Amino acid sequence: MSKLFGPALFGLLLAAASHFSVVHFAPGFIMDRAMSMLEGRGAELHKFHLAERTTPQSQSVVRASPDLAYSVCLFDFDQAGSELWVKMAATEDYASLSFFDDQTNNFKTIRGEGQGIAVKLLSPEMPAKNENSLVSPSMKGLILIRRLAPTVEDYRRVSAIAENDSCRSVDG
Amino acid sequence: MKRAMIYAVSGLFGLGIGVYTALAMSGLMPGDRRSTEGIEINGWTGDLTQGSSEASPYLRARIARHGLLALAKTEAIYFVRNTDSDGEPLGEDCVYRISGGPLPAGWWSITLYNETNFLPDNNDTALSFDATRSGDGDWSAVISSSSPAKGENWISSRNAGDFDLTLRLYMPEDRALQRPEQIIDPPKINRLRCAKRAS
Repeated sequence: MSKLFGPALFGLLLAAASHFSVVHFAPGFIMDRAMSMLEGRGAELHKFHLAERTTPQSQSVVRASPDLAYSVCLFDFDQAGSELWVKMAATEDYASLSFFDDQTNNFKTIRGEGQGIAVKLLSPEMPAKNENSLVSPSMKGLILIRRLAPTVEDYRRVSAIAENDSCRSVDG
Repeated sequence: MKRAMIYAVSGLFGLGIGVYTALAMSGLMPGDRRSTEGIEINGWTGDLTQGSSEASPYLRARIARHGLLALAKTEAIYFVRNTDSDGEPLGEDCVYRISGGPLPAGWWSITLYNETNFLPDNNDTALSFDATRSGDGDWSAVISSSSPAKGENWISSRNAGDFDLTLRLYMPEDRALQRPEQIIDPPKINRLRCAKRAS
């Protein structure tokens, strides 16, 4: 019996290690794949891209809402600069500007409430500067604008507004 | 040599168990449609840590697969339901009436997704129902694979197979975040009839 103690312990240790590795790395892996897929669908690095109206034919992310218009900006501070200037143009209806790190965490969301929003996103090694700046917990991630657009007409109206969104590297 | 083989077999068995339990507990197994693990209100399940770093590693993995890019609770809370009010799975073969009243949020929507977490492949332009069409009081909509009688609100389940519904509450009221079970009264889903399946 004691001869099996070593192999059993080895098996248990590997079980624990593989279990926690899968749980730990899954969000990062899935986010990385999602960012690559969004890039393949037109999303750009350090630039907002208004996704096509969400329909069964155009959907690219699980559980996208057909009632919202999504603008996406991918960021990667390893590629360019350490500061990103992000601006969401004003919308009358519901709008939000949300920031996601490379582990899928929504580390900040700012609601539009009829006003335009401008904020500076800083790379993880930069110190926070003021209330209009935000430090990203990761070098990579994405910024998402959601705007209420339940109808085709709403989406057309939002498309014109979204042209005034901005996501650009300040120093890279 | 024999001892090395025992270690190898034990190690492989351990790896398999570890990966399997991680995938199962994180909702990453094929066919696992649970997207949340927190609170349940009248058959609707949700988790107020969704989208935030407070979420458990298991929930984060689960959300990454089933609800990527979910917002934190102060902006939106999400509930999912895949059974009717009798506890039967929701399916395209049946017709349902979903009904409710005002919800404690600035805006809300209910959207139908198929078992792969995507919108069903149809062109009915009736994939969701939302607060802009509900009015201020009680409301209802028919969930069916074909258009209901004129004047009825409609959520199309055409080509959905087995499906679930996601209830999104945007800009939730503070009281809904503090006492969700007491404040949120999610809609009911009553099965009206089902098509007979060929045997």
